[in-house]
Amino acid sequence: MKTKHTSEQNRSVSNQHRRGFLQDLGLGFGSVALSSLLQTDTIAATAVPAIAPRAKNVIWLFMIGGASHMETFDPKPALTKFAGKTIDETPHGGVLKSPYLANERVVAFDPNNGFIRNEIYPLQVGYGPRGNSGIEISDWFPHLSECADDLCLVRSMWTEDSNHGAQLQFHTGRHRVDGFFPTIGSWATYGLGSLNENLPQFVVMGTPVADCCGGQECHRANYLGPQFDGVPLDVDSDTPLPYASPPAGVFREEQAGEFELLRQLHQLSSEQFPDDESLRARIRSYELAFRMQTAVPDVVRFDHESELTRRQYGLDQKETKAFGQQMLTARRLVERGVRFVQVYHGSNGGAGQWDSHTGLKDNHSKLCQQTDQPIAALLKDLKQRGLLDETLVVWATEFGRTPGAQSSNGRDHHPYGFSVWMAGGGIRGGITHGATDELGFHAVEDRHYVTDIHATLLHQLGLDPHQLVVEGRQRLEKDFGHVIHDIIA
Amino acid sequence: MSRIMLLLFALFLVRSNATAIDYESEIKPLFVEKCGACHGVLQQEAGLRLDAGSFVRQGSDDGSVLDFEHPRQSRLVERIATTDHNHRMPPEGQGTPLSKQQINKLIEWIESGATSPADEPIIASPQEHWAYQRPIKRPLPQASKTSDSTNPIDVWMDAKWQQAGLVPTFRANPANLLRRIYLDVTGLPPTLDQQDAVLEDSELANWSTLVDQLLDDPAYGEKWGRHWMDVWRYSDWDGYKNEVRGSQPHIWHWRDWIVESLNADKGYDAMVIEMLAGDEIAPEDMNTLRATGFLVRNFHKSNRDIWLDATVEHSAKAFLGMTIACARCHDHKYDPISQQEYYNLRAVFEPHRVRTEPLPGQSDTSKQGLPRAYDADLDIETFLYVQGNEKNPDKAHPLEPGVPAIIDTTFQVDAIPLPTVASHPFMRDHVEAEELTFIREELKKAQDAIASEPDEQSTPIARQTLVLAKAKLDSAERRWAATKAKIHSESASASLASQAADAERSFQFQQTLLSVLKQRSAVSAANELQETDEKKKKQSIDAAEKKLTELEKELVEASVQLTQSENNFTPVGTSYPTTSTGRRTAFAKWITHPDNPLAARVAINHLWMRHFGEPLVENVFDFGLRSSRPVHHELLDWLAVEFMENQWSMKHLHRLILNSRTYQLGSSPEQLGDAVLQQNLSIDPDNEYFWRANVRRLEAEVVRDSVLAVAGSLDRTMGGADIDFEDGEKNNRRSLYFRHAYEKQMQMLVTFDAANPTDCYRRTESIIPQQALALANSPLAMDQSRLLAQRISAQVSDGNSFTHLAFRITLGRQATDSELSTCSQFLQQQTDLLANQTSLSPVGVAKTTVQPATNAESRARENLIHVLMNHNDFVTLR
Repeated sequence: MKTKHTSEQNRSVSNQHRRGFLQDLGLGFGSVALSSLLQTDTIAATAVPAIAPRAKNVIWLFMIGGASHMETFDPKPALTKFAGKTIDETPHGGVLKSPYLANERVVAFDPNNGFIRNEIYPLQVGYGPRGNSGIEISDWFPHLSECADDLCLVRSMWTEDSNHGAQLQFHTGRHRVDGFFPTIGSWATYGLGSLNENLPQFVVMGTPVADCCGGQECHRANYLGPQFDGVPLDVDSDTPLPYASPPAGVFREEQAGEFELLRQLHQLSSEQFPDDESLRARIRSYELAFRMQTAVPDVVRFDHESELTRRQYGLDQKETKAFGQQMLTARRLVERGVRFVQVYHGSNGGAGQWDSHTGLKDNHSKLCQQTDQPIAALLKDLKQRGLLDETLVVWATEFGRTPGAQSSNGRDHHPYGFSVWMAGGGIRGGITHGATDELGFHAVEDRHYVTDIHATLLHQLGLDPHQLVVEGRQRLEKDFGHVIHDIIA
Repeated sequence: MSRIMLLLFALFLVRSNATAIDYESEIKPLFVEKCGACHGVLQQEAGLRLDAGSFVRQGSDDGSVLDFEHPRQSRLVERIATTDHNHRMPPEGQGTPLSKQQINKLIEWIESGATSPADEPIIASPQEHWAYQRPIKRPLPQASKTSDSTNPIDVWMDAKWQQAGLVPTFRANPANLLRRIYLDVTGLPPTLDQQDAVLEDSELANWSTLVDQLLDDPAYGEKWGRHWMDVWRYSDWDGYKNEVRGSQPHIWHWRDWIVESLNADKGYDAMVIEMLAGDEIAPEDMNTLRATGFLVRNFHKSNRDIWLDATVEHSAKAFLGMTIACARCHDHKYDPISQQEYYNLRAVFEPHRVRTEPLPGQSDTSKQGLPRAYDADLDIETFLYVQGNEKNPDKAHPLEPGVPAIIDTTFQVDAIPLPTVASHPFMRDHVEAEELTFIREELKKAQDAIASEPDEQSTPIARQTLVLAKAKLDSAERRWAATKAKIHSESASASLASQAADAERSFQFQQTLLSVLKQRSAVSAANELQETDEKKKKQSIDAAEKKLTELEKELVEASVQLTQSENNFTPVGTSYPTTSTGRRTAFAKWITHPDNPLAARVAINHLWMRHFGEPLVENVFDFGLRSSRPVHHELLDWLAVEFMENQWSMKHLHRLILNSRTYQLGSSPEQLGDAVLQQNLSIDPDNEYFWRANVRRLEAEVVRDSVLAVAGSLDRTMGGADIDFEDGEKNNRRSLYFRHAYEKQMQMLVTFDAANPTDCYRRTESIIPQQALALANSPLAMDQSRLLAQRISAQVSDGNSFTHLAFRITLGRQATDSELSTCSQFLQQQTDLLANQTSLSPVGVAKTTVQPATNAESRARENLIHVLMNHNDFVTLR
């Protein structure tokens, strides 16, 4: 597929390009322009950035299954007050007649889940004001609460899908049944390219979303091409990346010999075919691949991290170890210039662990514990290293949960109002933005569809979402979203 | 290729200042995209057309929209640049506003005089669009002086080259050509023997014989089958655990039909008809029914609208190059297709559903079967969804099946009566035979069980099991007889029905009786249970007795039933409608009617693109108004007519293309000399004129198959059930036989841009480091290079001969002298290195199947082969 500017560029620059290539042959492959060759099929290379970038990297944390907004970042004392009553019996019965209900798109009817639950279920956790700013965060996040002054809580999210296809929707902006589209991570890297030539530019950690709910399409690039796909990294494995190291029994020196021969043979070929751009790109791809073999395992090797750091990330406790390793790796990745790091938490091969139709209290308190300390450690660590200013951290989930009870001690899916937060990357800390109604039912103040988070994130990276268009592929207005200017520092 | 070029050129644009504004590439596309819907050939709001430079200069009903003195104050610029939402163009909801850069470009264009080519094509009405005209064979231009080829492709090309002032490259060298045609036609590199056989003749004088030979190779059907599987959206089933959510299990039958049809050179028209309506034109023929996998593939469990939308959208894109899906919610903005016409086309498909036909030898369709389409709801109505909203169907106006009127070709629907086996699939001979055989085997087992014990010892349960088996057989035989009599309306059907009903009641009675006997024995067992906990024991006794009481009640009822004489019996099998609407046949015949201007052109374009790396019409699924007349319009039309005149034979087209000089041109332009090359590049840097061959990367499947093929490991077994995608590194079958669906794709293939199962009219050609890692580190490449090294070493002893053969086998060409000496040096160094392994550091985890050679020299040779499998030439067609 040709993208926008092909022919114009071809016409104006082909001769220059040819000369440039001949020079490169003598000089080796170290020039800046060429180093970005492999990963810069990007609009950033052609367009003048319209916006001054505030962030360089993104760490995107996604809680799979739907974390309850009422038990995390959006306290609703009214729930405790009216516990056991039906919604109609409270003074807030109007929520059931709201036009916002029409935003829901039910496509595959699920007889068990995805209903409005009528009997109010009380809050399962306490809240308190945190930090100097005093923003309220639930008691299940004691460590994260210490970072309150860096957090911007967005309490007025809404989405369309009342089932877990909303996981896909949060990453592409489209309902599950509309099909598959490029994800936010791939758009960001498509727009910006890489800062590190030894590592993939878009890295994914944690078990991905299950195939019910979008599967790997939640971190793929779809029509942007596989060079913009998120590359899954398994931090707890001998082979963190598919094919990242040779098969057993191969010697490092042996392989180095092979790569050197390959380089020489390619060099001979390029003398014969000086105009073959794909050959040049392939030569680069092998150089990068060779370095990735050491750079990738190095990222997940914590030898040089201090004992204190390991403890801070919770690597010494079994509850926090898995996510802690991923958070520490996330820091190491952005430190090395990886543009977009996407971390999934709570995958279970189905709807996701956060999906608390029953036993919400046990479930959420456990999952919060798994993530609280590692996320807090990440924020503190980034800050201490001066990286938080240029790294935007996003915490998100596909939807919230119903104010009403399901099966006595759980909550159902709730697309009409829920919370996410952002930190760093030029976002104002210690604030809340937007609000749901008294029951936490509808987002009522400064409502935001999921792509508003995308737009804000891209804006902080210096990109205008409207620039991110590929010829022949239509993007809808809602795909672009709106920048949330109020939360930008 | 184009993608790669883009990468490079993107970089250079940053360095060079943008040159003067180019109307064709920068301004016109903007007008088309942003303004075309309301200011084009379909509509002229305010009397303004913006789809040609002359129209822009002409202005609207209110006069000029350009101000050359003050370009920024041009009405055109004011309307697009204003921040007033009520005033801004494009209007809210009709398109995104122009960016600052785009507006600046327009201003610059106006500043420079708003020029456009004098010969810019303009059409007065949509009907005049080139793609809606019937293709004709225009008289061939005068043959050129420089070429002696009479192949019409060459004659047309030659005329274009002369006209444009381009000089084509020379014919590619024989080794290159041989590799090109083998990989292109069969997807497999030429073996050493195949190279020897052909290259003896350095002029390749027997080229056309080779062409025929390769097109006759069954591998042709596999290679080109995969191409068409892209276009026709082949996908194996997807779903969660055993739940089928998209496509259907066993859809591989359709894949096999594609491969077989191509190998048999079935006409493209016949293939289209069979895919859309095989169940109507050959309702009894299981082989043809496989073709309807094209429809089955769109199955969508959760939502019928999505299912039908996909069917409509992709039938139109694949066969007509028509983007009709845009008309689902409103009249098409760019093409003359109304919203109603979208739903007329939907009505063509509205009655159809999918089912799985049992196949001989296996009645359980979850294990085996043939998924197929059929018309299930003959009277179902189709309604237009107002603004595309499925919650708002226009129920007052049910719509007839129909096709877009812009294509003025007969569309005639006639209902089709179906033969017995089509509406009653159980009437196929094997179904009754297999069911009865199965029951007889049960009976035999029951008899054997009794025979093995002396009479007095056989338990009541065993005796009753035998009675039941007999009753079951009797019941089945009589139900079959009665069902068949009913279907054939035989006079005896009433009495047969009565017998069947009796036999069925008797069977049910015996079955209940057996349950009672078994439960009695369960009660005894519960009483004799060695259980110390009295409470638990009593509980299990109570439960068993309770169930016995229920069963005994059922037995009484069953015995009462025995006295009934009603004729109601359960017919065998499921029956379906006895007619089909004929709508899909009508649609398919309309597509393939010689007067339909689109079908042949679209097919030719796909074939051309896969031979040349670039299509004749840039957007292979959109031949609508946004698709401007292609450079090689006359050639495209000539080929389209030639195609139809030759029974839509694809092999005829392949032959024509492969035998052309144009196909055989070299890809390296350097041979032309610098002056000519510079001239060519300045005239046509994109190679739109095909004056040289495009360098292409092999498709994902061809890369993997090549690794196996050069090592002699490829398993050439054809067809059959889809293979688990996780076995791609261990199973040596060709890649197209592995499962390929959403979330079910082989890593190696995905890395090399395998088809997106939901939509892939054209493959991407990326170059990413993960591809390098896949070939450098996969156990597959490692195993196969070791095997190949052993094979070559068995034939030759010295290093240079080894290298010679290795190059020829893996890359299909001789090694150059420099390559030979480089490799010779490598073999020496690597042998020395590997001789002292204790000093080396082992890395890596994944397991290989083939162990490395123990001898250092042999291992160095394995390394050399492995390097050649990673060589750019290995994955490249020159």
